[in-house]
Amino acid sequence: MEYFKSGLKSVLGTPVVDDQPSGADIVERLVERVQHSTLLADRRDACRALKALSRKYRIEVGAKGMDALCQVLEQDRADAEIASYALETLKLIMNNEIYDEEEIPDITAKDSNKLGERFTEIFIKKQENVGLVLDYLEEFDFHVRWPALQLLLLLLTNKAKDVQEIILVSPMGVSKLIDMLSDSREVIRNNSVLLLTLLTKSNANIQKILAFENAFDRLFDVILEEGNADGGIVVQDCLNFMLTLLRNNISTQNFFKEGNFISRILPLLQLPANDEWPIQRINNVHAVLQIIRTLVSPTNPAQATSSCQQAMHTSGILKAMCDLLVANGVPRNPLTEAISTVAELVRGHNDNQSYLEAVKSNGIPSKDVLVLLLWSMLNDKQPFEMRCAVLYCFQCYLYRNDFGKMKIIQKLLPLEKEVTETCASHLLCQGLFSKESLSSWFAAVALSYALIDNPDGKEKLLNVKLASNDPNPPTLLQQIVSSIQTTDKAQFKIGHLMFLSTWFSHCSLAVESFLKINNGIPYFITQANRLENEEIEEIVNGLSTFVMGICLAFNPETVENFKKDSLRHLITKRIGVETFMDKLNDVSRNESYTRASKHPQPTAQNPQSLLLDYEFCKLFKMLEGMIMRALNTLPGQDDGEKLVSNQKEIDELKATVDELKTELTEKTNRIEELCRLANDSRDDTDRMKTELFRLQENHIALMHAYQLKENELESYRRLLAMHGIWNENPDQQQQQHQHHPQESPMFGGGEFTPHHLQQQQEPTTVTTGEEKVYQPMLNEHERNELIRNDLNV
Amino acid sequence: MSYAYLFKYIIIGDTGVGKSCLLLQFTDKRFQPVHDLTIGVEFGARLVSIDTKPIKLQIWDTAGQEAFRSITRSYYRGAAGALLVYDITRRDTFNHLTTWLEDARQHSNSNMVIMLIGNKSDLETKREVKKEEGEAFAREHGLVFMETSAKTSDNVEEAFINTAKEIYEKIQEGVFDINNEANGIKIGPQHSTGNSSIPGGNNRSSGNGCC
Ligand SMILES: Nc1nc2c(ncn2[C@@H]2O[C@H](COP(=O)(O)OP(=O)(O)OP(=O)(O)O)[C@@H](O)[C@H]2O)c(=O)[nH]1
Ligand SMILES: [Mg+2]
Repeated sequence: MEYFKSGLKSVLGTPVVDDQPSGADIVERLVERVQHSTLLADRRDACRALKALSRKYRIEVGAKGMDALCQVLEQDRADAEIASYALETLKLIMNNEIYDEEEIPDITAKDSNKLGERFTEIFIKKQENVGLVLDYLEEFDFHVRWPALQLLLLLLTNKAKDVQEIILVSPMGVSKLIDMLSDSREVIRNNSVLLLTLLTKSNANIQKILAFENAFDRLFDVILEEGNADGGIVVQDCLNFMLTLLRNNISTQNFFKEGNFISRILPLLQLPANDEWPIQRINNVHAVLQIIRTLVSPTNPAQATSSCQQAMHTSGILKAMCDLLVANGVPRNPLTEAISTVAELVRGHNDNQSYLEAVKSNGIPSKDVLVLLLWSMLNDKQPFEMRCAVLYCFQCYLYRNDFGKMKIIQKLLPLEKEVTETCASHLLCQGLFSKESLSSWFAAVALSYALIDNPDGKEKLLNVKLASNDPNPPTLLQQIVSSIQTTDKAQFKIGHLMFLSTWFSHCSLAVESFLKINNGIPYFITQANRLENEEIEEIVNGLSTFVMGICLAFNPETVENFKKDSLRHLITKRIGVETFMDKLNDVSRNESYTRASKHPQPTAQNPQSLLLDYEFCKLFKMLEGMIMRALNTLPGQDDGEKLVSNQKEIDELKATVDELKTELTEKTNRIEELCRLANDSRDDTDRMKTELFRLQENHIALMHAYQLKENELESYRRLLAMHGIWNENPDQQQQQHQHHPQESPMFGGGEFTPHHLQQQQEPTTVTTGEEKVYQPMLNEHERNELIRNDLNV
Repeated sequence: MSYAYLFKYIIIGDTGVGKSCLLLQFTDKRFQPVHDLTIGVEFGARLVSIDTKPIKLQIWDTAGQEAFRSITRSYYRGAAGALLVYDITRRDTFNHLTTWLEDARQHSNSNMVIMLIGNKSDLETKREVKKEEGEAFAREHGLVFMETSAKTSDNVEEAFINTAKEIYEKIQEGVFDINNEANGIKIGPQHSTGNSSIPGGNNRSSGNGCC
């Protein structure tokens, strides 16, 4: 084999030391034979040889042989052996691991681990190639199906998105793959689970097709066959595949629920009691819990989640999960995950919440599971993740659970005197003042959930006093305010400040009690004014500011010195509006605010960085603007007054608007009318104009006709005169009239006046019997009149 | 929740003919006036009763747009019934029926029951395709025909149920191999041999709504 190495070196530019054939030459010759040899046996041998060389000379085989290998897949389908060589060779060159014996030219050394990906790119550039591999998957022969499956796995590993799209559009591509789940040969079935998982990842269309192709049915069959939660890694793979099908896909989730697959989860949760938990069971159960949580996730549409929650209850999953919480020997991680799962199973679902409430531990005496859980939450020996999970569970238990919220508050009231059993409320109340700041933070947040959307509870809580030997024990509120002032632990303060914010928001009575506490507001002002470098202290200051803002926005106007105006004045003077806003922004800019706002489940890298809570962030976002408005209102304009005066102003404006509206309508009508009139008269004018024009035309035409007649008449006259029939007088008249059209101004000239008069007075005296004779006697006006009569206009 | 049989349906036809509306009307008894373009495929289900037997209809509503054709074809193979829908107010959707039918016949199993639907029968004034034309097309290609309105719900119920009846009859006649799931038919849990402990009469309250 030494000559191969040296040969390759020559290809790569190292001086040639001998003239033995190089690896490249050999590969080239083999490729030539694969492509052009007419004998199948010959091609098969060449293919086998190529496969043998493909580790060592991966680049050569890949670069020169890819087309030839695809050609084999295309043309030599009938021969399983050569097909399997071709598939295996392709697999070897697209593999991402670097082979021990592989010859790596220096140029490509730095990204030689990407060679597999590059060749994959080249291979799938021709989409038909992927189709060919799919076809071979239909082949039952293990020597074909197996390398085809492995090759496809590799393609998907290297270029998931592209290969998914190609398979999606190749006819029945996805459907072919699902059939392999029924392969009796385990290695094929198991690997096809992995293949399908890769194929399905983040492709909603493929996920739906697989759901349509009964993937869930088949997976549950495999899981059952393999022994459910105590089955091997195949069970875990199947569950992960199922998870891939469901995650972020409301359609497949709906399908899963509608198809009643939820009830098929149950056997996976029915574990023998007091049993060992081998690692595989832990993994399997973990995967099951992920599936459940995907279906009831708080980020799903509310309707979808609640119908799945219902189905989980009906099918016994909720019960099985609660059993898991109180079972013995459940290791820490699955237990933590189980707590979070129960949390989401009950979140906002009243039936499930009451179910959880009633769950009791197995021990004697049996205790409420909620109490036990809270106990662990407040116990600093318990793992941090688990304590977080318990808080989440309790939050979800109270979420939209008016009854549960009131129960928690009720138990704290003085009326409920002798409570022998420890209850959740008392645990939390004690926890508030725990020495461990994380415990107090947990307790404060947990208790604040009993106050969300609970105006009645907020007021009732004001009556709670702390048990002590003191004949005049402090109220819960007083105690909280004073402990905020005396502690130097930021996490403690933050928890309590969030609690106060929740308590005071929309509750003037609570604000009133607070304002009456000595040194309450002054401390907060000092706190807000502190300059801090530490982020965590910025949050403390920001929250103190926020609490003051709430006192302003929900001010009861009953506490002297701290009425709205005075408080506003105090803030403006002692803190300044700008600084006040900056302090608030410090909170919403903080990284823990962003993290907490994302998801209801409390999370943090470590116990110290658990600072803000999801619901609190929601409240903060909601009230921020309101507080700024309250602060920026002009003095003397309290919200109440302002509201009234605003309302009055609005009413006045409304009346004015109404008046204006009527007026406008009238005006509009009037304008329309005027427009119509204007239009009409314009029409008239136009009509008149055309009329006039027509008349002028007529006039000219008539004048012309008149002239013609006149000329004619004249010639008759001459004729008559020649024959001596016409007398002088008419002749004279004739002369006159001939000029008449041009010389009308002269018409009234002295010489002719008598004549004219005479003619006018006694037209009949000049009697020739011919009207034509009269006409010329008329002046222009009269003539026009006549013409008009003629025309009947 | 329990059922004697489960039938898989697909709904196919040009975009905008009202496929999603028909499904919504059938599962939720609602009408959606705006065109909510289906992307890929959507899913719905309802329990009906044929011959006193509870039958679960699992319905896959496909996108009519050409761009999704290659995806939606994946659904033909495993379906027992298909609703082929056109819009009586748009002749082009009627003209495309032949293409749809060829596509369906090519990719589905040969026993798939196809119901031809002329939808939007409430828009009589805008009608472009006569009822007789639909009937003739159905007769020629051996389909069942019906005009529906997803808006008024007229005949919607019947369209889905008659298809189920047809499939059910084919099962009774032994035409369908009900043990082959690729035919789009599944036998209900307590009807299959073996793993059921509570035969029939399952009186567990069934979650909500449609099934
Ligand atoms: N008047 C009337 N309008 C309908 C009827 N059915 C559907 N429409 C309307 O037709 C439009 C399209 O309906 P869709 O059901 O979304 O159409 P589609 O066939 O699912 O379309 P794609 O999802 O793109 O394939 C919508 O605006 C519906 O309101 C009907 O029976 N009568
Ligand atoms: Mg649609």
